[in-house]
Amino acid sequence: MKTLIKIKPKDYKAGDVVKIDFMAMHPMETGMRKNKDTGALIPAEYIDEVKFMFNDTLITKMVIWESLSVNPLMSISFKVPGAGTLKVIAKDNKGQSVESTTQITPKG
Amino acid sequence: MERRSFLKGFGAAAACAIALPHVASAAEEKKSGGPNEMNFETAVAAITGGKAVIASAKVKMEAPEIAENGAVVPVKVTVDSPMTSKEYVKAIHVLASKNGNVRCANIYLTPANGEAFFGTRIKLGGTQDVVAIAEMSDGTFLSAKQNVKVTIGGCG
Repeated sequence: MKTLIKIKPKDYKAGDVVKIDFMAMHPMETGMRKNKDTGALIPAEYIDEVKFMFNDTLITKMVIWESLSVNPLMSISFKVPGAGTLKVIAKDNKGQSVESTTQITPKG
Repeated sequence: MERRSFLKGFGAAAACAIALPHVASAAEEKKSGGPNEMNFETAVAAITGGKAVIASAKVKMEAPEIAENGAVVPVKVTVDSPMTSKEYVKAIHVLASKNGNVRCANIYLTPANGEAFFGTRIKLGGTQDVVAIAEMSDGTFLSAKQNVKVTIGGCG
């Protein structure tokens, strides 16, 4: 599972409210689609939990379902308290889990 | 001889009676909306625990009125509320009222977010209301909805 974290805007100060965009490359199968050749149902495969941590403190926890689009995007706000590490942990219903981190470096 | 044939017939009928419910349930399974199927009323009750949901202008939802492609519908929810440890938005729930599984996302926020915002892209099976329910720290539930017309469904 490939992931991407983007902080918007690029330049921010401590105390600013920024947007965190988290994207994951994931098929997000609903379990309702059929294989066109065999007619067999494609089993459900979707991200079901995403946790945003800043310096190991939980900021936001998401419980999500298969209704999110393929390669889902999740965007939240975050008030930058200072420098630190932002960690995003995403887990899917098959138990596959991925951790991605980015550094929060406020200017000024 | 008569008794034997009667018993045979009875046995076959009994077998039929047992087999029938199986056929019926298999047919139902085909109709179901996937492994996590849940209808709108059940999902709302699970979120609120039976409490009233009040439609409020504090909850702002941004979604297109007409989505050409139901597979990727951008949705943004903002809740007008302070984010302090005393008063904040506990959670934002996004529901698609007519999808097989109406639940899209439950977002549990904390005061560290600074602003109650959630943006994503969802799949819609057809024209329907997209509903956002915000759970406030005082235990009330506020909601907003937007009807999205879908030209091509995104669940096939």
